[in-house]
Amino acid sequence: MTPTVSASGLSLRYGGTRALDDVSLRLTAGVTGLLGPNGAGKTTLLRVLATALPADRGAFTVLGHDPGTARGRQEVRRRLGYLPQTPGFHPDFTAFEFVDYVAILKEMTDRAARHREVRRVLDEVGLTEVRGKRIRKLSGGMRQRVALGAALVGDPGFLVLDEPTVGLDPEQRMRFRELIAEAGQGRTVLLSTHQTEDVAMLCHRVLVMAAGRVRFEGTPAELTARAAGRVWSSTERHPGAKAGWRTGTGTFRNVGDPPPGAELLEPTLEDGYLLTLDGAGAEVAA
Amino acid sequence: MSWHVSEEDLRAYARGELDAPALWSADAHLTSCARCRAGLAGVSDPVALDAGWERLDAALDAPRTGVLERLLLRLGVAGHTARLLAATPVLRRSWLGAVVAVLLLSVAAAHSVHGGEFPTLFLALAPLLPLAGVGLSYGPALDPTYEMAVVAPMHGFRLLMVRTVAVLAVVLGLNGLATLALPAYGLRALAWLLPGLALTATGLALTPRLGPVLAPSLVGGAWVGLLLTADALRTGADGPLAPFTVAGQCVAAAVAALAAGLLYLHRDRFDLFQGRAA
Repeated sequence: MTPTVSASGLSLRYGGTRALDDVSLRLTAGVTGLLGPNGAGKTTLLRVLATALPADRGAFTVLGHDPGTARGRQEVRRRLGYLPQTPGFHPDFTAFEFVDYVAILKEMTDRAARHREVRRVLDEVGLTEVRGKRIRKLSGGMRQRVALGAALVGDPGFLVLDEPTVGLDPEQRMRFRELIAEAGQGRTVLLSTHQTEDVAMLCHRVLVMAAGRVRFEGTPAELTARAAGRVWSSTERHPGAKAGWRTGTGTFRNVGDPPPGAELLEPTLEDGYLLTLDGAGAEVAA
Repeated sequence: MSWHVSEEDLRAYARGELDAPALWSADAHLTSCARCRAGLAGVSDPVALDAGWERLDAALDAPRTGVLERLLLRLGVAGHTARLLAATPVLRRSWLGAVVAVLLLSVAAAHSVHGGEFPTLFLALAPLLPLAGVGLSYGPALDPTYEMAVVAPMHGFRLLMVRTVAVLAVVLGLNGLATLALPAYGLRALAWLLPGLALTATGLALTPRLGPVLAPSLVGGAWVGLLLTADALRTGADGPLAPFTVAGQCVAAAVAALAAGLLYLHRDRFDLFQGRAA
């Protein structure tokens, strides 16, 4: 399968911090999850792939275009949808006006065609009924859907979503997941998230980043399999565990290298993620 | 109903060539006037008529635009440009109110101080207003949609220039009105214009290197420092500060031209994110 995004050796420094360190990846159609702790370089990677930031070293192509040139960057941006980590809104705009504004930024100058597209994406994200409401009066979940609608204007071939489910309640998160799953039909979506459930439910591929490097690239099942035979139950937190926490039943769930005779548990994606981070020298929060 | 859409406008409407605000008037009128709808059918071919109804649906679906946007459309600004300008953070009542307050105070101060040849406080403050206005219209710290705009296909420099021209038109217009309130000083009260353009152009030219907050801040600070230095070196109490002399105005014009040239040379730098990634 021809990759939508192909990158090799991407590196970027901020002062003394190595934000990206020799990152190589290939993204194909479907939803790819990007997991990692705070400061891992996820947002930097998304900004580089979205052509907002230039890398110091390395090269990449998006949909066959090289963003290293002005013309290539322009072509990539014509096929790109981008939902930043904290999407900002002009408070006086309605949902319709905001998406219309983004459509203008996407070079849609014909009013009738643009309004048709705005109505289409607002319908796609389920906001037709509130299109005339001021954004400041919408709930957090609805605002995220407005931002997703703006990202979907122009039917982009590559969609970049930076932690879109942060701050949403479970019902809103579930609704948003449905939208991302629909958006991933026939296009390439890169989804940065802290929620391993997002990845488990949505993604056909997953990348794990820590300290600017890609520590894992594979399927969610392969990431889960990393924890096979390395999750066990005990009555007290095991001192040798990489991570461990008391569960609702009062027993401890330990992740790491189990002692002989330990009662092994079925691993989850989160267990595989925690073990990957531990191997990367990153802080394991558990 | 006394008013009807003219046949000429109906034909333009049918061709999809009728511009706002006449388009809006026609859209609204056609929904309630059978006579004009019949007239439209008479001048349209069926395919174009369907397209016209689709446009009508779209127009009715779109919410009412804000005051600023309507004003811009009345002034003949294209619809998509008007919406870009409506999203300019400083073209809001709070900012414009602050500009008017500063100008009123400096004009009042000029009136209250008698005997000087130049309204120095007014001339010192007025050039800072376009610099601050343009600085506040762009950048990740001040424009809530900055990050989305940077990765959009529209060139960042074009968006910057659209906003800069709009802010300059408003602020220079207000400065001009304030100047008219100082008739006793004659053309000397206009000595803010060239320094204002020089500061604004320099602030923008330095933005790709220093960022959208630090660059105008440093330029504004340099202007204040220059005025304080000129005041310390001034020989007579009533004489003009160096930037407001003929020589000073020539220097300001040269700086404005040089900075504008640098800005143009660095225009592609505005196409990339100017801030620190998380």
